[in-house]
Amino acid sequence: MAPSNQFGKRVKLTQIRRPFVVGSTALPFSDANPRPPGAPDNHTHSWQVFVRGMEDTDITYWLRRVQFKLHESIPNYVRMVEGEPGKPFVVNETGWGEFDITIKLYYVNDSGEKPQTLYHYLRLHPYGRTEEEKQSMLASNGEVRAWSYEEQLFNEPYEAFYQILTSGAVPKGWKPAGGSGKGKGKGKNRAPPPLPAPDSGDVWERTAMIPNTNRPGQPFSRETEAAEIKKLSDAQQKTEQMTKQLLAELKKKEEQLAQLKTENAAAVAKTS
Amino acid sequence: MTSSDVRDVLNLPDGAAGGPRPSKKAKITAPRPNLKGLAREVHNLGGDNPIAIVPEVTQFKKRRFVSRKPAARWELRQFANSGRKDESLVLRHWRRVEEGKQSSSAAGEGNVPEAEDVEDSLYAKYNVQVSVPQYNEDQYHQVLENPDWTKEETDYLMELVRDFDIRWPLIWDRYEWSPPATNGEADADGDESKAIVPATRSRSMEDLKARYYEVASRMMAVQKPVQYMTQPEFALHELMAHFNPQQEKLRKDFALNSFGRSREEAREEESLLLEIKRILARSDRFNEERRELYNRLDYPHAEQDINTFKSSAGLQTLLQNLMTADKSKKRKSIMGAEVPTPSGQPTPQQAAPENGRRDSAAASSGPRESGASTAASSAHKKSQSQSQQQIQQQQAQQQQQQQQSQQQQLQERKKLTEHEEIIYGVTHHDRLGSGPTFRTEKINKLFSHKSNQQQLRITNTLNELDVPAKLAMPTAATTHAFEQLLASVNSLLDARKITDKIDAEIKLELAKKAEREKALGNQDAEKSGDADEDDEDAKDESAEADEPSKGDDEDGAAAQPEDDEKEQDEDAAPSDEAAAQPSVEQDDDNADEGKDSAVATRKRSASVLSSVSDKSLKRQKK
Repeated sequence: MAPSNQFGKRVKLTQIRRPFVVGSTALPFSDANPRPPGAPDNHTHSWQVFVRGMEDTDITYWLRRVQFKLHESIPNYVRMVEGEPGKPFVVNETGWGEFDITIKLYYVNDSGEKPQTLYHYLRLHPYGRTEEEKQSMLASNGEVRAWSYEEQLFNEPYEAFYQILTSGAVPKGWKPAGGSGKGKGKGKNRAPPPLPAPDSGDVWERTAMIPNTNRPGQPFSRETEAAEIKKLSDAQQKTEQMTKQLLAELKKKEEQLAQLKTENAAAVAKTS
Repeated sequence: MTSSDVRDVLNLPDGAAGGPRPSKKAKITAPRPNLKGLAREVHNLGGDNPIAIVPEVTQFKKRRFVSRKPAARWELRQFANSGRKDESLVLRHWRRVEEGKQSSSAAGEGNVPEAEDVEDSLYAKYNVQVSVPQYNEDQYHQVLENPDWTKEETDYLMELVRDFDIRWPLIWDRYEWSPPATNGEADADGDESKAIVPATRSRSMEDLKARYYEVASRMMAVQKPVQYMTQPEFALHELMAHFNPQQEKLRKDFALNSFGRSREEAREEESLLLEIKRILARSDRFNEERRELYNRLDYPHAEQDINTFKSSAGLQTLLQNLMTADKSKKRKSIMGAEVPTPSGQPTPQQAAPENGRRDSAAASSGPRESGASTAASSAHKKSQSQSQQQIQQQQAQQQQQQQQSQQQQLQERKKLTEHEEIIYGVTHHDRLGSGPTFRTEKINKLFSHKSNQQQLRITNTLNELDVPAKLAMPTAATTHAFEQLLASVNSLLDARKITDKIDAEIKLELAKKAEREKALGNQDAEKSGDADEDDEDAKDESAEADEPSKGDDEDGAAAQPEDDEKEQDEDAAPSDEAAAQPSVEQDDDNADEGKDSAVATRKRSASVLSSVSDKSLKRQKK
């Protein structure tokens, strides 16, 4: 029997996902990006680390606050960022070194869930196995972006939270009250528009939708996903081919070994 | 003689009591200067206490300083008021004559002051004209047309507005629009018999306002398009454009009403409001109580067939039922607090909201069965095992209820359509641990469950395949693909491992063979005279062939033809080997090993993977 709590029961065998982006953006000091007055001399970059929704949608309806644990050498290195509706969770800093940032997500009170921890490695310099990969991290204005897509999975959410997560889908920027109505005071709440087709590629507030194509500054989409899947399945085929080849060779070798052994055994049998 | 003197005489310490004394003295000295006119001696008469005599101070008003200047001169001067329309009106008022002008004015006292311009009134500036929207014929027809209003009437309204400075009560009061005769002009005689005079309609103040604001806002927009307006202009425009006469009327009516109500009515209204508040509060409490009641009713469903409980024995059963239910409930709740098992009953709070609807549903299916079973049990209630049965039955019943309530809750929950599930990212799984996780965790687990070496091998292989170990976009689909890839990578690695092992074994066997043949070769060399030449040649060949095959173990196919040759050798060898005594011991060893490895190969053919254990076995035997 579940503990008697205000959240209701868990919704069995059900998982709800919410995509979000966690990452860091760093920019070296330059004329365009002057060193802020308080920054120490040895600092070389200004950077920010963030947790935000797809296409900057609001995620504060499931994420209450985020704790960013920066490097110990940074003053006040544990930063707690409370959620403001419609705004991403961001910490802005300056520094000279890269390090692992521990990001702890605190969910809204209605969720009844414990906080979870993520790690993000702060990148100030482009990193990759090839030059191409390095270049892909660099934005046109010299920003180094280390962004990663992540999906928050709520496994068997409580009833109340389930309700929160499965209602209220609205297009971005959509307001429930008619904006410039006829000065009649409170207008009646508009009924939300019908849900879009799943493949429309729109991203609505309070949904798990992902855009269809990439746009500048929004590198995560169905397009990226499809490319990734293709790459993986190609690699898989290659691996399977290699395995097949290897197994064929193995078979031959086994035969050879068996032969050798029977030979040796026979030889021994004869000698003894 | 002061108190300090007394102290001195009595040799009392001057400590605590001495403290306040100086302040007292200060107090005495303070009023002294005030009491002027008293001799010091008289003051001293008072001793410590100030004298209560307050000398009367006679004070008079200060004498006014009269200026010795001559009295100012004033004159009666004319002035006009430019704010007035009747320009000819000239009034006069008294003004002080300025010093410089005195002589001149004195000189021309008799003259009519026509020559000098008439002074404008101070108050002329307060005659402010309101700016009333102006429009011409064209503009009127373009933007200001209104079926209710003619241009003439609108003009009239504007005129009134201007005249009364937008004071609406006044405007409304003076508003007397008599529309001109529309057909035919009045005769010179004033005979208007033929003219049709439209009925005047009375316009309320709101109507007038609405029309005026309409005209004003439209003209504003005409003069300056909305997008170029400044903030205050736009605010004004919006305000006038959205004037709502009905609402205004309602508001006034309401205000009028509330002003006009009597004391009793006001009191009644107040009490009614209070009553409403009370009712609302009570309904809340009532709902709460009802909810609680439903909770109580939840477990033993009241809709059961109560006939079975009518006899005293039946009542006994009921009591037992209830007690066991209560017990099990308690136990469960305690267990639940410790371990939040996933398949829980709904707690009272949870069950509460659904109860209203659920009860009816529950009444239809579940309780009937349980009622039937209780009836059956009550038939043989005398038996010893009755209570046990009851407990079991009760538990079964409760399980049933649980399932039922679970099902019902599923039904109760808003059923999402497939479409909605996709939008909201809702998926259903066969197995699921509860709690929030991240998508990447699954992949991380795939890695972290392996040993370090394995992890290294996997990452190396992934590097070979040019696949980063971290997904760019870990969605369900990519994660799945990655898992499959990892699985095939793992099987590839397994295959490689086995190949390595077999290679090693082949090497070993080849080495053995070479050794044996070397031994044979030695013997042959001893008995070279006896041996055939053919044999020797063949052996040499095989020995040579052994060497490259050792070096290139991977190349199994290349080794194959040599094997054929070796077999031929061995066919030829036995005759010699029979005579090969010195190497018997060594050969024994070989034979043992040969047997073991033969077993191993047989097993390996059955299952390639088990070769590891076989080999270790062999090693032990060795």
